Amino acid sequence: MSTPTVQVPYLNISDPSFAMQSEELRAAREQSWYARTNYGIAVLRYDEVSKLLKSPKLSQGSAKWPAHNGVHGGLFYDWWTKNLLVLEGEDHHRIRRLLNPAFSPRLIKDLVPRFQVLANELIDSFIDKGECEFIRDFAEPYATRVLTILLGIPESEWPTIARLASTVGLALGVTFKQDLDKVDAAVAELYEYAEGLIKDRQANPGEDFVSRLVLANRDGDRLSDEELRNALVLLIFGGMDTTRNQLGLAMQSFMHNPEQWELLAERPDLGGKAVEEVMRINPTVTWVTREAVEDFTYQDLFIEKGTTVHLFTQSSGTDPKAFPNPEMDLLGEHAPHYGFGGGVHHCLGHFVARADMSEALPLLASRIAQPYLTGGDEWLPDSGNTGPIRLPIGFTKRS
Amino acid sequence: MKTIDVDRTLCDNHGQCAIAAPDVFRMNADGELEYEATFDDALLDEVEEAIDVCPVQAIFLKD
Ligand code: HEM
Ligand code: HEM
Ligand code: SF4
Repeated sequence: MSTPTVQVPYLNISDPSFAMQSEELRAAREQSWYARTNYGIAVLRYDEVSKLLKSPKLSQGSAKWPAHNGVHGGLFYDWWTKNLLVLEGEDHHRIRRLLNPAFSPRLIKDLVPRFQVLANELIDSFIDKGECEFIRDFAEPYATRVLTILLGIPESEWPTIARLASTVGLALGVTFKQDLDKVDAAVAELYEYAEGLIKDRQANPGEDFVSRLVLANRDGDRLSDEELRNALVLLIFGGMDTTRNQLGLAMQSFMHNPEQWELLAERPDLGGKAVEEVMRINPTVTWVTREAVEDFTYQDLFIEKGTTVHLFTQSSGTDPKAFPNPEMDLLGEHAPHYGFGGGVHHCLGHFVARADMSEALPLLASRIAQPYLTGGDEWLPDSGNTGPIRLPIGFTKRS
Repeated sequence: MKTIDVDRTLCDNHGQCAIAAPDVFRMNADGELEYEATFDDALLDEVEEAIDVCPVQAIFLKD
């Protein structure tokens, strides 16, 4: 590495007390566009994150996760190393092309009335109590049932799906290796579920989302049953915790900005802006990981092949160089955030996530006034994917 | 004949269009979008798919 002309900050990103929204990070961003960390470099500013996120010199960095943890085989391993998120080049693009049509924004729009019914039903269940545990009573059932609606499976099965997905989620944690048997068993169950779904739609194709995937073909090419199954498991896995966590973080941000909550209650048409603002200042995916595929120099920095590069989302979304007024403002005009990643791995499900959250937030605001923390909240650490695990809140019911 | 217009103030160079319709859109070595405004009719489906998948909805078809 070349000798830097300015002092380069250092961040310990796997320290459980490491905080994204901290003076330490703001000072580092002020000092330099990147920081060194105990695990690769971290990119802190908006322009640099935007550029490097789409750089052909960087590839998906999460592919080696199981190997990092000493896991070299098993069901999870096989699934992980073949899914869209970690595939690159033509292997990635081929699957993405076959999945894309089912995610068309025009088709997602048809689901919006069902998202509204679901949100109101969940709010009905706690509105008269004046309090709720927001994750258990809203964010988790909402995120999971949206997926069951999308996949066309009975909404009543959501607890099973939620349990299986959370178990697979243990694979992302530090105890991955100890949990491996449980994780593999959950992957096996999800496989069975997905295979049943595929068989059913092959026998009785309709207009629904999974039928579209089953029937998808391009230039005579189609997804094999195995590819389809892997993709369905990725959608369950990649769509559930992310949406749950992002809704929890949205509630946190609005509790810090009560006047914005009032504005949203009066102007439900700002639901889309609410989602963008929350994801800009308080994203659940706190960094996206990439790896250098070759040696290259970016600005003043020589980046050696194999270097891990973390692109920080919250830090870039509140960078004063790109956002002179970084505070949450539903009426402001802001540059796009990178809470859905970017480039070839840009979130496949973002139209779904944007559509469901932009219905949920204004409906919540229109029925709940002055939400506040009642104590006992618990949080995931800030590294990787964050959000509340428990979020007990009190509120006044609007009449 | 229809022509393609990408709103460059919106385009954020995600390259999803180049995955959907590689005969019309491509990303250069700097990671920036290049495309042909005119295209063969046989590619219309691909182009419409590119329009759909663009994360920032920056692609438009003009008559
Ligand atoms: C608020 C909710 C969501 C957030 C914050 C989110 C965020 C992200 C991010 C940051 C990435 C890029 C990861 C990377 O480049 O390393 C991604 C990829 C992906 N997301 Fe989402 N996501 C959300 C919801 C969903 C939903 C609902 C689905 C599916 C129904 C989904 C499916 C996917 C898939 C399949 C990929 C991999 C795409 C690829 O590698 O080509 N996501 N998401
Ligand atoms: C599809 C939507 C997903 C998105 C948007 C997403 C995004 C991210 C991001 C941005 C990170 C931080 C990068 C890192 O530390 O390596 C991360 C961490 C991670 N994710 Fe995901 N992920 C998604 C799905 C998954 C799935 C399906 C798995 C696997 C079961 C997974 C496994 C991991 C692992 C292993 C880490 C590393 C944790 C760490 O280093 O702290 N992700 N994810
Ligand atoms: S998909 Fe959209 S944002 Fe990405 S390069 Fe193409 S036009 Fe630009």
